[in-house]
Amino acid sequence: MSVPIRRRRFAAIALASVAVLATATACGDDSSDSGSSSDGPVNLVVDVFGDQGFGYDDLYKQYEAEHPNVKITERGKGLGLGDYNTRLTQQITAGSGAGDVVALEEGTIVQFYAQADKFVNLADHGANDLKGNFLPWKWEQGSTPDGKVLGLGTDVGSMAVCYRSDLFKAAGLPTDREQVGALWPTWDQFIAAGQKFAAADKKHKFVDSATNFYNVVLMQTAGQGTGYTYYDKSNKLVIGENPDVQASYNLTAKMIAAGLSNNLQSFSNEWNAGFKNGTFATIACPAWMTGVIKGQAGDAAAGKWDIAKAPGNGGNWGGSFLAVPKSSKHAKEAAELVKFLTSSKGQTEAFKKLGNLPSSPQALADPAVVDATNDYFSKAPIGKIFGTGASELKPVYLGPKNNAVRTAVENSLRAVEQGKSAEEQWQAALKNGEAAGK
Amino acid sequence: MTTTTLRPPVRRPAGPPRASHRSDRLWKASPLTWFGLVLGVILSLFPFYWMIVIASRTNDAANSWPPPFLPGGKLGDNIQRVLANGDANIVKGLLNSFLVSGTITVATVFFGSLAGFAFAKLRFRGKNALLLIILASMMVPIQLGVLPLYILMAKLEWLNTMPSVTVPFLIGGFGIFMMRQYAEQAVPNELIEAARVDGCSTWRVYWHVVAPALRPAAAVLGLLTFMEQWNQFFWPFVVLADPANPTVQISLRSLNTAYFADNSQIFAGTLIATLPLFVVFVLFGRQIIGGIMEGAVKS
Amino acid sequence: MSLDLHAVAPPDHGPERGARPAHRRPTSLTRLDLKYSPYLYVLPFFVIFAVFSAYPIAYTVWIALTDRSPLNATISFVGLDNFVELITDDPQFWNAVVNTFGMFLLSTVPQLLLALVLANALNRKLRAQTFFRMAIAMPIITSTAVVALIFSMIYAKEFGLVNWVLDTVGLDPIDWRANRFASWFAISTMVDWRWVGYNALIYLAAMQSISKDMYEAASLDGASRRRQFWSITVPQLRPTIIFTLIISTIGGLQLFTEPLLFTSGSGGLSGGSEGQFQTITMYLLDVMNQRFRWGYAGAVALVLFLLIALMSTVNYLLARRISSDK
Repeated sequence: MSVPIRRRRFAAIALASVAVLATATACGDDSSDSGSSSDGPVNLVVDVFGDQGFGYDDLYKQYEAEHPNVKITERGKGLGLGDYNTRLTQQITAGSGAGDVVALEEGTIVQFYAQADKFVNLADHGANDLKGNFLPWKWEQGSTPDGKVLGLGTDVGSMAVCYRSDLFKAAGLPTDREQVGALWPTWDQFIAAGQKFAAADKKHKFVDSATNFYNVVLMQTAGQGTGYTYYDKSNKLVIGENPDVQASYNLTAKMIAAGLSNNLQSFSNEWNAGFKNGTFATIACPAWMTGVIKGQAGDAAAGKWDIAKAPGNGGNWGGSFLAVPKSSKHAKEAAELVKFLTSSKGQTEAFKKLGNLPSSPQALADPAVVDATNDYFSKAPIGKIFGTGASELKPVYLGPKNNAVRTAVENSLRAVEQGKSAEEQWQAALKNGEAAGK
Repeated sequence: MTTTTLRPPVRRPAGPPRASHRSDRLWKASPLTWFGLVLGVILSLFPFYWMIVIASRTNDAANSWPPPFLPGGKLGDNIQRVLANGDANIVKGLLNSFLVSGTITVATVFFGSLAGFAFAKLRFRGKNALLLIILASMMVPIQLGVLPLYILMAKLEWLNTMPSVTVPFLIGGFGIFMMRQYAEQAVPNELIEAARVDGCSTWRVYWHVVAPALRPAAAVLGLLTFMEQWNQFFWPFVVLADPANPTVQISLRSLNTAYFADNSQIFAGTLIATLPLFVVFVLFGRQIIGGIMEGAVKS
Repeated sequence: MSLDLHAVAPPDHGPERGARPAHRRPTSLTRLDLKYSPYLYVLPFFVIFAVFSAYPIAYTVWIALTDRSPLNATISFVGLDNFVELITDDPQFWNAVVNTFGMFLLSTVPQLLLALVLANALNRKLRAQTFFRMAIAMPIITSTAVVALIFSMIYAKEFGLVNWVLDTVGLDPIDWRANRFASWFAISTMVDWRWVGYNALIYLAAMQSISKDMYEAASLDGASRRRQFWSITVPQLRPTIIFTLIISTIGGLQLFTEPLLFTSGSGGLSGGSEGQFQTITMYLLDVMNQRFRWGYAGAVALVLFLLIALMSTVNYLLARRISSDK
């Protein structure tokens, strides 16, 4: 009968037109389709985040020169961590779309423990031999509780305080970095210094945002205290029970009450503008923050910034890992690239490029790191400031939904900055944190 | 739903009513009316102007106090920087957006007129039920099924490619509905009957009788569809992870999320992204406005 | 299938409800054409709809009954637990509902009023009609992303235009993101800027079809223009107003991009420090992408859809009632 034929013909036409459209509009590079045979050219896609990525451009060139069959494409420069992680989670869950090598941030890697079967166990590619190349706690963070090697460490945050020496001078505070560090052995003394600054300088604020300092204080307090933050090591949500969380919250609230905060939301346009216009005098400064400051404040502020020791004792905020999703069609080559990029040499190169502090003890001992100074920060000896203590750090365990809970607490602190009661907001933080971590 | 039908294609020309001396006075615009209109136009156009102001300044000037009110001389400079920005890939974004929006526009006009014709002029079982589904589909936010849809795209291996932002939108409920409303009045039944009597198949009726009559509405639908698709943001953001292969709105997002947000560059980017639609609007403004006014009437 | 049965049914089966009087004996081919080509013509929509809308929605319904999450190794069926929690034990969701409806009202009412006033002005005898119409309709060419970018700068706390104006006239600057009402106001102006002109044109079209005689008669009776506007124009426009209300409802309840991009930097989905401008759609993505509770997100999505359907139905019934009143 003619109807079925007609129908079929229509279906054929429809299919054909869809196919035409598909080919006509398929502009994506089919990098991972080029077959898994290792003799053909291999195109590896590396997914990173942050404005400048991870500082790997030269390393890629070097690797491509040494491996003529490999071509490397990087994606994600300019992408914020939040967007990056959302997308990565979807890609990993869908089992498609992720790069051959992906960056996992400290706060999010635990989330992927549960999906460890979607990642290549790097131990299968000889990663265990490299254990000595990483700080013990960094290695531990990169491995799942049952011993799979999920990711190899790139950098650690370490901790310092970056400050505007010109503003300090105008406010009658010391400007030399040793003296500045001596000003605040504890956080309470940091707040006292801030109050002195605020009394002398009505135009600028002492800190950029309370939430940045909160994160630093929490990671430091937890490192010396319980060793975990919102989740205990069995992944139970303990935001209300962990004294470290509340202590950090209270300290930050005190900072806000003293009127020290510029109330700028991290990584917002106004925060960026705050750097350019120099509206605040200090900022919590993990090693990777130095690159951010330099990029934001620009050449006009060169030499005005300096770096001093953070109050308290050591600590870490941030730092990442590189992993290989199972969806990669070139798992072997990708694992090799990961090993290369996270080698002590690779980490040293990235440090020179962006200031990201190595997680490899060998790299940390490398003269190129130890003796490094940063011209932008008044020739501060960044290798010493950040490197000292990095190797003695105790790891802080971050739970699976760490970022969601953290956002809830940060929101409460922001509300305190906007004039709400600190006690009420602490209750809100508990409530919203519980909901976010459920 | 009386007023929600399209006006018949032949109308008296828009504009003030021709009439007696008295009604001339009645329809005169008062000074207050003029004031309101001019104010409306200023508010309406100011953000465009301000876009140009920021886009033509240095970033420092854009972030200064008081804010700048006059354009500076850096427009070319900023545009060059945007075009050269390796993270945003705005040139590729423009090309992709043309391709995607163009394809969807053509498909929407074709499938929409075909289905609109069927719903307006043909009789078939279940017509009302099917029409209801089409109406209901307009209420469904894409967010509703975003997760399964994403997984589906992954299975089709369409992630990061243009089919993922093209195929699901080839024909939507609005296009069909608009064409149905228009076809009901613009195509006289007698014409269709006559063609039938001449032995035309349904397809030939569509092609030779209905399609030509639908042309004005098709043009409007095409313009509106193109604008809507050009401005799509949510779904492309979900599936287009590869900054090397974005649509233009995703390029803008890349500019904005860069840690070192550069407002003058961002605004130069928005200028570039809006320019094609601006050109379309200037060239076809009358039709678009006519379309909005006629298709006033989309429910 | 019943369709096939009909296809082979004998012609004396009785005339189909929709059969047309045939002027000459149709060949079987013509009959088939008449019977089936309508389905072919509407088929493309339903294919696309089935694959890219219906299937994902059905899947969402299924997910909503589970505790699915990328963090869970196994997926278990939890029945209606997600819905029960959402309705009875989720203040954040209800906060989002309040925000969504609040911003919906705050944007829609002035939007439609302003559009009415503008349309009324455009309906006068004017020079440069086309210019005025184009100028007020121009905002629709911008994408929501662009609107959000521009207005975020206009409402910036430190260097924003609005705060500069406030400062100039001697008022305190406002932190537009900190205060619930201020943030609602700012976001509503974004929505309104884009849509007032569009709605005005729709009203203008309807106004032009109102008989001029009514106005002439009213003016002979001494009715002022204001009086004419409220007692002739607005009542005549009622069905059109209801229509724009429906369109605004569908868009308003899905409000997403403007409030999302109103927060610059990280944490945009939270919609402010206390969720003061978090809409339902933002909450949906928050649950899905930050908390990874996909099952729960499915429940949020379905409740959102039900709300939209409910509101649209209410509006539709209202519209029917009002137009049958006339």
